[in-house]
Amino acid sequence: MATVTAAASRAVIPGILKVAAGRKLLVLALAAAILVPLAHTRWASGTWPTALTVDLTTPLTDTSTWIIDNRDSHPLFLYFLGHVSNAVVLAVRVVYLLLLAAGWAGTTAFAALFAWRVAGARLALGAAAAFLTCGALGMWVPTMQTLALMVVAVLASVVVGALLGLAAGLSGRMDRALRPVLDTMQVLPAFAYLLPVVLIFGIGVPAAVLATVVYAAPPMARLTALGLRGADKEVLEAVDSLGATARQRLLTARIPLARKELLLGVNQTIMMALSMAVIASVIGAGGLGDRVYQALASVDVGAALAAGIPIVLLAVVLDRVTAAAGDGTERTGRAGWAYALVAAPAVAVAGRLMGRLDWPDTWVLNIAEPVNRAVDWMTAHLYSGVPVVGGTAEWAGRFTTWVLDPVRDGLQWLPWWAVLLVVAALAWLIGTWRTALTATLAMVAIGVLGVWEPSLDTLSQVLAAVAVTLVLGIATGVAAARSDRVDRALRPVLDIFQTMPQFVYLIPVVALFGVGRAPAVAAAVVYALPAVVRITAQGLRQVDPAALESARSLGATPAQQLWQVQLPLARRSLLLAVNQGVVLVLAVVIIGGLVGGGALGYDVVFGLAQGDLATGLVAGAAIVCLGLMLDRVTQPTDRRTKKGA
Amino acid sequence: MSTPVFSVEGLWKVFGPKADRIPTDPELSALPPADLRARTGCTAAVRDVSFGVRKGEVFVVMGLSGSGKSTLVRCLTRLIEPTSGTIAIDGEDVRAMDKSRLRELRRHRAAMVFQHFGLLPHRTVLDNVAYGLEIQGVGKSERRERAAEVVAKVGLEGMEQRRPSQLSGGQRQRVGLARALAVDPEVLLFDEPFSALDPLIRRDMQEEVVRLHREEGRTMVFITHDLSEALKLGDRIALMRDGEVVQLGTPEQIVGSPADDYVREFVRDVPREQVMTVRTAMRPASAEEAGNGPAVAPTATVSEAIEAVARAGAPARVMDSGRCLGVVDANALLDVVAGATGLAVDTDRLGGAIPTAAGTSEELV
Ligand SMILES: Nc1ncnc2c1ncn2[C@@H]1O[C@H](COP(=O)(O)OP(=O)(O)OP(=O)(O)O)[C@@H](O)[C@H]1O
Ligand SMILES: [Mg+2]
Repeated sequence: MATVTAAASRAVIPGILKVAAGRKLLVLALAAAILVPLAHTRWASGTWPTALTVDLTTPLTDTSTWIIDNRDSHPLFLYFLGHVSNAVVLAVRVVYLLLLAAGWAGTTAFAALFAWRVAGARLALGAAAAFLTCGALGMWVPTMQTLALMVVAVLASVVVGALLGLAAGLSGRMDRALRPVLDTMQVLPAFAYLLPVVLIFGIGVPAAVLATVVYAAPPMARLTALGLRGADKEVLEAVDSLGATARQRLLTARIPLARKELLLGVNQTIMMALSMAVIASVIGAGGLGDRVYQALASVDVGAALAAGIPIVLLAVVLDRVTAAAGDGTERTGRAGWAYALVAAPAVAVAGRLMGRLDWPDTWVLNIAEPVNRAVDWMTAHLYSGVPVVGGTAEWAGRFTTWVLDPVRDGLQWLPWWAVLLVVAALAWLIGTWRTALTATLAMVAIGVLGVWEPSLDTLSQVLAAVAVTLVLGIATGVAAARSDRVDRALRPVLDIFQTMPQFVYLIPVVALFGVGRAPAVAAAVVYALPAVVRITAQGLRQVDPAALESARSLGATPAQQLWQVQLPLARRSLLLAVNQGVVLVLAVVIIGGLVGGGALGYDVVFGLAQGDLATGLVAGAAIVCLGLMLDRVTQPTDRRTKKGA
Repeated sequence: MSTPVFSVEGLWKVFGPKADRIPTDPELSALPPADLRARTGCTAAVRDVSFGVRKGEVFVVMGLSGSGKSTLVRCLTRLIEPTSGTIAIDGEDVRAMDKSRLRELRRHRAAMVFQHFGLLPHRTVLDNVAYGLEIQGVGKSERRERAAEVVAKVGLEGMEQRRPSQLSGGQRQRVGLARALAVDPEVLLFDEPFSALDPLIRRDMQEEVVRLHREEGRTMVFITHDLSEALKLGDRIALMRDGEVVQLGTPEQIVGSPADDYVREFVRDVPREQVMTVRTAMRPASAEEAGNGPAVAPTATVSEAIEAVARAGAPARVMDSGRCLGVVDANALLDVVAGATGLAVDTDRLGGAIPTAAGTSEELV
């Protein structure tokens, strides 16, 4: 209630804002004046004082050793986790063998016919083309491995998510308990989930599937709950008035009424699962992600691209087909389904009889070599020494020296209490004292964990990437909002970019900039841009036309209209764009650890590669804290109230 | 008089924290709504309401927005749980019913039509109409057959396979009506069913309800905030304000003798000659008058009598099965139109007991 009134009065009297903001700052300044000298006299040090850290290496290593020693004997593993693990392995294997048994022709036919039934002829063609391309790139088997893992993970995520969503949709208390958890999970980078599952299951398929489920189930849960809660009250009342039992009410009204949200949930879960299934290659998922990972490790851009293209194609096809299914454009007619159900096995059997189960080697197009030649040419000609503009490697180098290094050094030079103060002040000014408290505590936790320096390194990359993203994104968003032509031209590009898994973005940046921190930042910028452009453009377009009209009638120039009317009125959308930008950038900056981004992401990869789970887990925890802090600092006051509505 | 279908005694519904204490506390229950809210944070949506709904009548509940009409009608089948008071259907205590008994009541005895229709968007018209039967466990072919009959009855033949989104507002409400009719309930409850419709469609639908009532004689409780709708449909009208019934009576009684200024203000613009019957303007006939002149029925409206008097140029006789009850002349009729004659003036002469406030409404039951 208080936040609502605050927001309302803010809109009416800007003077109040100044007073409120001033008051908040004053309180902080007072607190600082008391606490800082105290802290300073006790632990005078620029970086986080060692006296305030807790070394978790020994207990974590002990835990990890204990788990490894007891995996085959402890009842918890024998009677529960062991079964989970075995079931996952078995399920993935069964799906994988089924896909292989259907052969490439059968699988392609099945995908195309399914797409035809739920999404129409055009997408059926697209699906067929995508699968054939995967084969042609020589990636049939890895594609099937990834697909098998995805099928199992998506099914599990949908079931888990739907059950949680059902609970939250039907019980208010459950909803209140789950919502903050799901909100938080939504903003955490994928890498944060890897270590805990590896700790329990070890590297391998079960860990990969479970990490994927944990990552992909929240959107399903959220949307299920949203759909169930959003049901038209009067319809439910009508159902009650006819004497329906609770079961009838759920099955005949609430669930069908939430159909749209449920299908959207499935769509989002599939996309998140694909994204994670690829990243989980670092914990033994195999398949396409593994090919990309191996190729990137040896900077073999051609091979990475050959595995990356199937990932993108899968993403686009899966997204379009499931989105079309959720559009509500229902295709009735059992005949079509019957036809599809007969045709797909027929093709599979025909393929079997012709002995054409595996993709024929002669049909494989080797793109790795030409691509690598092109990359070599680029390295030779574009990396440096291009007249006037310099070269990509030079840009990367300069960006590192002139932007990344100073920001990192600056952050690390700042006294630790100053960092905490800045975080608290920013979070409080933008949000509430609660968000400020969470953000500050998250930062404190990072210090206590003893990863202050690498976290600030990651933070510096995030800040640089966010700054670039916002400048580019808001400028593009403004252009898209002001011109329909730009908007139309951008839309398909944004659509494709928003469906691509994070991992894929690393390939082109490595090709262009080599490895290091600058490429990681570049990948993050490209990944986060589409969302920022979208939100900005939408926010600007939603500005009340009457306000614009009146500004125009007062003779405001287009620039004045933009600065004085549109941008201030779109304030909430802009804040949301910043928030989303920060969350997305962080996710990719962390993954950038795979291409020389260093810092926390590298610690996770290192921990996994060396079996040093303690380092990895601590870095993972720091990532969680950093994600929390960044989200809370940029969280506008009214996000919660808006979501509740 | 037979037992009423619904009989409601001292019904309260209070929303808010610790609502139970308000009806029993004489001090709190006497507070006006604003004070009650300020003191306790509670809203008394229905306050101490009593009435009975007779078999076969259309009982209208009318009042301004927020006067508690919807809450009242939902309390009848406990879609909203009442705070205190008694409700009986055919003499059976509704508040004492357990879950399954209550479901039985909702399934077979009282069906409701909603302001915004409350249709299931993913089902066809036919399946929406059959929904109540499906809930009851009626087999597919049987419920479809019965639903098809009802669909035809409300004039939606040929639209059985459409979805609600493909229908106009009026057609949707016909579906809502058909869904309620399909379960063949003893009572139909309407919560402002036509207020979301255009005036012309609304008139159509009102006529539909009048027709249904005439053909089937089903008991109806009809909520509206529209006075002309109330007067057109209602056999009796309960007028609500701030949760209380301020007057309960026939349309004629409400228009002819408003209980207080609130009601008087409400009915000020009503064309009285179309509501009031000739009884209002009647005086005893002289021997000569009883013999000739145009004849009108006692239920005829003043406006009909005016027409007859004007055409004949003589006072009209009010005839009830061949007996002359009295006569009405031009002056008396004009007095009614002008509002000079209230029903109250005539009551003792006609010997009718006319309740003027909620407190005496029980007599009518
Ligand atoms: N669930 C609820 N919680 C709290 N107060 C409520 C609730 N439902 C209704 N009220 C209050 O009870 C009073 C009566 O509401 P009700 O909906 O019965 O009015 P109404 O006569 O049907 O009005 P309308 O003509 O607008 O439909 C209103 O003051 C309303 O604010
Ligand atoms: Mg109402």
